[in-house]
Amino acid sequence: MRLELRWSRVEALIAAATTRLVGTRLEIDLEALRALLAADARLTRIRLDLVHPGEQVRIGRVFDVIAPRAKLDGGGHLTVMDGQVQVRDFPGVLGAITKVGHGRTLALDGVAVVATDQQADPVAGSLAVIDMAGPNAALSAFGRTHNVVISAWPAPGTGRPEYLAAVRLAALKAAVHLARTARDAEPARVEVFELPPSPRVPAALAHLPRVAYVFQIHSHQRPTGVDEGVLYGDPVRRMLPTIIHPNEILDGAVLRGFMGRSVTTWATQNHPMIRALYAAHGHSLWFAGVVVTVAQATEPERVRSAFLVAGLVAHTLGADGVVLTKIGGGAPHVDMAQAAAQCEALGVKTTLVVEDMSTDGSAEGMLLFNFPGMDALVNVGSSQEPLVLPAMDRVVGADDLAAKLVGETRATYGTLCGAIEQVGATKVMAEVR
Amino acid sequence: MTKDARRVVCYVNQFFGTLGGEEKAGVGPQIVDGAVGAARAVQQALGDAGTVVATVICGDNYAAEQPERAVAEMLALVTAQRPDLVIAGPAFLAGRYGVACGALCAAVQATLQIPAVTGMHAENPGVDLYRRQVYIVQTGGEAVRMLDDARRLVTLGLTLARGEAPGAPAADGYFARGVTHNVVVATNAAERATAMLLDKLAGRPFASEVPLPDFPNVPAPRLIKTLEGATIALVTDGGLVPKGNPDGIEPLNATRYGAYSIEGKAGLDAALYDNPHRGYDTSFVKQDPHRLVPVDVVRELEQRGAIGKLHETVYSTVGVATTLAHSARMGREIAEKLRAAGVDAVILTST
Repeated sequence: MRLELRWSRVEALIAAATTRLVGTRLEIDLEALRALLAADARLTRIRLDLVHPGEQVRIGRVFDVIAPRAKLDGGGHLTVMDGQVQVRDFPGVLGAITKVGHGRTLALDGVAVVATDQQADPVAGSLAVIDMAGPNAALSAFGRTHNVVISAWPAPGTGRPEYLAAVRLAALKAAVHLARTARDAEPARVEVFELPPSPRVPAALAHLPRVAYVFQIHSHQRPTGVDEGVLYGDPVRRMLPTIIHPNEILDGAVLRGFMGRSVTTWATQNHPMIRALYAAHGHSLWFAGVVVTVAQATEPERVRSAFLVAGLVAHTLGADGVVLTKIGGGAPHVDMAQAAAQCEALGVKTTLVVEDMSTDGSAEGMLLFNFPGMDALVNVGSSQEPLVLPAMDRVVGADDLAAKLVGETRATYGTLCGAIEQVGATKVMAEVR
Repeated sequence: MTKDARRVVCYVNQFFGTLGGEEKAGVGPQIVDGAVGAARAVQQALGDAGTVVATVICGDNYAAEQPERAVAEMLALVTAQRPDLVIAGPAFLAGRYGVACGALCAAVQATLQIPAVTGMHAENPGVDLYRRQVYIVQTGGEAVRMLDDARRLVTLGLTLARGEAPGAPAADGYFARGVTHNVVVATNAAERATAMLLDKLAGRPFASEVPLPDFPNVPAPRLIKTLEGATIALVTDGGLVPKGNPDGIEPLNATRYGAYSIEGKAGLDAALYDNPHRGYDTSFVKQDPHRLVPVDVVRELEQRGAIGKLHETVYSTVGVATTLAHSARMGREIAEKLRAAGVDAVILTST
């Protein structure tokens, strides 16, 4: 499969009478965008804010961040429905269910869509923030992007899962709406992701170690709602490990569930592990493919899932080595380790990307497992470590919490959206001292 | 003393305090104005940055034989000096001295909320006992480089006194305390993972970013009676609590557990129980608590005579993101209560 991400650079973001991309300036007709997003009976009021790097602004109540993308065409891989060629964005959630990962996709660099959650109980929920200035801006990718912040309020009677589904859908609509402005633009750069079917290794590269990636895309610590599409719109309730092409993940087939901890949809769309393996592909390794899996809720499910993962990695993809990442908290951590243990048992060397799980900052609490052979561990930092949020001039996206959030606040790394990404997108690491 | 200079109190043993050798090891804590003995090296290292206002001297045997009393007495002497920083030792390979240095520093930090540092050799027993709580600078086995060692102690102590974070253990020469600290490194985790895997595949050395745990293996003890004569208790970390969560067990990172009577109950009525656990989908347990705590089945076994007796208290906590320290403490406390109550075996249900 061959995917082209056609990047257009955005260096300025302004409200205007028409939505269009002029050079590197993205102009948005906020009224038109608001009207587009308001066409959802689950939402009442929609507010849009534009915030910029360097502004003394804190975005509060952050729910998820989406990278602006829009399919231009599906390459040779087209799905025909009702006699029509279909090319769909975020298939199964926004667009109809069609295969992605092939063809050309428009992408905007330097701008992100930030969805806020106006329903969560501020006491019980862990409400994330983004700082646009100060020391924390450098810790998160979203402190360096121009952000379109969507605040949407639930219509009376809208339950929690329905509200979150509506908010995410609004953010996806906005992401596509903005990316389509680049339809006629000459891209600043074209990024090509091309990976042949796994067994077709040219003889000259047959000596390279075959490396697979196991991507845990959801944790069943919380059951998904019916509208909580994670894989091509499927809430993955009964999902067993399966193989998909890495391009499908980069092209909108996988979205984060609603209760993401230290993970954003943005990081999935720009998947750092898939990028790292692509970068080394054909040079120091052969990228053998991706297994997607979910963290199971019970032990029999975990055991079954673990050996199915290992079988796909070892026997189907024929990998010599595998990297695994997790999503969520403790159970996914152990689930990943059990899958890795099964891989090691089949002779596949493993590296695991873990979050520092210690809640008291002690090194002995970093891990929740202890399996032989699991000796290569990379960490994405501790989300529990205290972090000071310095005073800002303005709070966006959390009017009700503005009085508290505008001043200096004690928080944790986990509170800062984009500082800790479990798929390994950031340079934050917990060092043992 | 300049305006920013720190008030420093030193602690040395009888030998480094120039009272004498082993024959003076029984001497109790005393305080002398200014820097005495080894503390003079500390004063020299401090220069204008601080003043050793007093030196506490205590005999090693006195400190080793009645450690709590010795630390309390030394702490009182230290407190009266209103110091900004305490520097203990260095103790090199002297075991009694090293343990006392660690204990005093830990007490000073906890009670006075000021930094305290010490120094010793890697094999000093004080290192293993106190490295987690106290910054311990790595020294040689003997006092051959006293001024160098004092300088490193002073540098680290002043960093802490300024409220700054020290560098990495290797860089600043102290024993890793086993605490984690977020830093920003040169490459993202995905790139590091790829590089580490390639090293592992090629058989090249690589350094895991997470120390591998060294949990002791606890063998399951053998039941010394027959089941028919045994008292069995039910314990869980799955978070079952009576409605209203009377003990306020935390939904994660728990520090508490509850003891709940099942006396006279053939089973658990779902309407009377709740579950604050935030680490798994608790809906099935809320529907039927026996899925977590099988009082119904075990009561049946008791009535049938298959087991001697079901212990009438269920212990419950929430096992998610719980620190190892709290887990070990709660486990120990529950085990002691079970043993005191004559319980022979436990069914521990985890989630």
